[in-house]
Amino acid sequence: MLLDWLINPFSEFQFMQRALAGCLALCLSAPPIGVFLMLRRMSLTGDAMSHAILPGAAVGYLVAGLSVEAMTLGGLVAGGLVVVLSGLVSRHTQSGEDSSLAAFYLISMALGVLLISTHGSSVDLLHVLFGSTLALNDAALWLLGGIATITLLGLAWIYRPLVLECLDPDFLASVSRAGSWVHLGFLLLAVLNLIAGFHALGTLMSVGLMILPGAAMRYWTRRLGLLLLGSALLALVACISGLLFSYHLGWPTSPTIILSLGVGYALSLLLGGQGGLLPRLIRRRHLEA
Amino acid sequence: MLRFDNLTLGYDRHPALHHLHGHVAPGSLLAVVGPNGGGKSTLLKGILGQLKPLTGKVVCGVPRQAIGYLPQQSRIDRSFPISVQETVAMGLWRHCGLFGRLPRAQRLRVAAALERVGLERLAGANLDALSGGQLQRALFARLWLQESQLMLLDEPFSAIDNQTAEDLLDLLEEWQAQGKTVLAVLHDLEQVRHHFPEALLLARECIAWGPTQTVLSADNLNRVRTLHAGPDPEAAFCSRTPE
Amino acid sequence: MTLASRIPSRLRLGLCSLLLLTAPAFAAPIPVTATFSILGDLVKQVGGEQVEIHSLVGPDGDAHVYQPSPQDVRTLSQSKLLVSNGLHFEGWLDRLAQASGFKGAQVVASQGIQARAMADDDEEEHDGHGHDADEHHHHDGMDPHAWNDPENVIVYVNNIAQGLSRLDPEHADQYQANADAYVRQIQTLDGEYRPRFAALSAQQRRAITSHDAFGYLAQAYDLSLLAPQGINTEAEASAADVAKLIRQIRQEKIKALFVENISDPRLLEQIARETGVQPGGRLFSDALSAADGQAPDTLSLLRHNLDTLLKAMEQQ
Repeated sequence: MLLDWLINPFSEFQFMQRALAGCLALCLSAPPIGVFLMLRRMSLTGDAMSHAILPGAAVGYLVAGLSVEAMTLGGLVAGGLVVVLSGLVSRHTQSGEDSSLAAFYLISMALGVLLISTHGSSVDLLHVLFGSTLALNDAALWLLGGIATITLLGLAWIYRPLVLECLDPDFLASVSRAGSWVHLGFLLLAVLNLIAGFHALGTLMSVGLMILPGAAMRYWTRRLGLLLLGSALLALVACISGLLFSYHLGWPTSPTIILSLGVGYALSLLLGGQGGLLPRLIRRRHLEA
Repeated sequence: MLRFDNLTLGYDRHPALHHLHGHVAPGSLLAVVGPNGGGKSTLLKGILGQLKPLTGKVVCGVPRQAIGYLPQQSRIDRSFPISVQETVAMGLWRHCGLFGRLPRAQRLRVAAALERVGLERLAGANLDALSGGQLQRALFARLWLQESQLMLLDEPFSAIDNQTAEDLLDLLEEWQAQGKTVLAVLHDLEQVRHHFPEALLLARECIAWGPTQTVLSADNLNRVRTLHAGPDPEAAFCSRTPE
Repeated sequence: MTLASRIPSRLRLGLCSLLLLTAPAFAAPIPVTATFSILGDLVKQVGGEQVEIHSLVGPDGDAHVYQPSPQDVRTLSQSKLLVSNGLHFEGWLDRLAQASGFKGAQVVASQGIQARAMADDDEEEHDGHGHDADEHHHHDGMDPHAWNDPENVIVYVNNIAQGLSRLDPEHADQYQANADAYVRQIQTLDGEYRPRFAALSAQQRRAITSHDAFGYLAQAYDLSLLAPQGINTEAEASAADVAKLIRQIRQEKIKALFVENISDPRLLEQIARETGVQPGGRLFSDALSAADGQAPDTLSLLRHNLDTLLKAMEQQ
């Protein structure tokens, strides 16, 4: 009975299988990126970058319609430009990375809105905003798989300098010049994953899948490896339960997925062994040393 | 190992340190002392290449990337989920590269370094479990693993307990005995007198440089006391700069 | 906007002030604003040369997500007549009219038609979707897409003719004559397609459209139209909705599947892929196409939609 509840939707419907495959790919790549964003105290940067990408994706949409390639390319160009420019500005002037990023993403967004409103047909951009977990075509699946592969390979490649750049940027700067490239590469990976999220969950929801798993896992483990693994796992569980609840209860899919993650976060916040609220209340006998 | 040719370093045309001449022999253990704003940290940044000289130049006997550097207030993020052992192991990256895998043999060296600074029991702990002194010990272990011929330390003993400072000062002397060159910016003149054979007294320029006892004379220290620190917006062009 | 569109409106402004001075001598076109492209076309059909029409939501635009530009506000403020659909279709209109200081007459084109309730309740089984409540709230339970039924278009046209006549009694006869001529065209169209739809079997009368805007049309020709999404373009489908629809297509062997011009085509593509149904073409619901498209005016929009539906239904 329970097994039916879990399996049937996926065995009966191809669109559920596709949604699951897309989510699987996204869950492997976006949460680890989010973990690093969180560790660098850049969680909100993810949100800012998603706004920076939106106009690019929208322009791609205006030029070529609802094509996966055009929207990806547009988003990549807009996101990449914002990341590179704000990186350059913060490195060569007095302004901090947060303020320059804020400046550039706001400019990018305004530019995007301007382009969209002046170029005639106010096509329903809400569909871009919402994405379509339930309508992943072959091109979108390939893209999600490709982005997951690139992200995992890229993260493996820059893992150590990235950790160092987060932990002790001065030390990295003293032993290597790779720091700024690593930082840039990482932000570009984040842009890629946000774009992947656009296709699967829509712009409004894609940041959630990136940030929430890491934020939740932080209440369970203090080990980076476990944090990365656990966040991907939690995201996957949330995606599957989100899809199932959307199927059985008739709730719109992408908010249901993000809300599942939200439930995971709330439980972690309450029960997590590492700084969760309830364990803190329980006074246990202290140790000898 | 190091040579300064008419070196002037500063920010925005205001010199923090000007017209420094001299050289540091290999195997020196040199204390850099002086008042706040005297240009000590600026000198280290100049050596590291993080600050471009306004005039003159620094000639360094080792590549810049091979200099071991311990900054004054480490921007280290102690809430980062990483163990002491992994942090210390970063010192080895010059040898195995930033992107390679850490060979098994190197792990023994990490363990040895941790033992040398007395942190072997905390190897698996996270950074935020360490006290200030213990963190500094870990950073010294990391510095040790870097095996640099030239090491720059910026106020390594401020705000840590005496026992740790003494242990780590021993380590500095041990490094000198191994033929390494060590420059340390210090405030505690007693520490300097006890452990450092050579000192450089800076107050926006070189006041004295040589054997510690001569440099830290009452006369020199009095001269330094009258220095008014900070950039002066009304300052005239420096007459010693050739056009 | 472009310089080209700016100059005529300046000119128009000039003409208006000229008109005030020499009103009796010249008959300059009456500036009329319509809320969206279909109404704009109807006003043009009735008013002919006597009106200067501006549509707030242009061809291929979506009135659900319309955002007024300063030009729209200015044009509206200079208009003598505002033609809207009513039935809560243009939720933004009251605020816009107030903001622009519009003082002219208003025509609600749907006045007098038999408004129908939300499509979901009629055609799908009554097993309540999670988001139905929202949609009902949004449109107050009424389906605003009345223009998709030719009968209603006749009502629209007559309302517009009356509105224009009140404003410009001098040309009242001409407006009524234009309206009558147009109504005859619509009746011809209706007469052409009604028997052909009537000839279809119950099994054939089923189709799926992605935007639930054809409730009136379905009612007029006794068709059964299903939609995976709600009546608003912004409502996101749930997995349950899509699954139910796919089951229905499989069980009832529906072959007619339509993507129309403003809703998310990806979802229908997925459903088509999954059920093996070929999409039957594009239906136009809320907007005309551009001048070189398949439905540049209301009559061809109606004809195109009826034709496309009929062809797909005849094949199943």
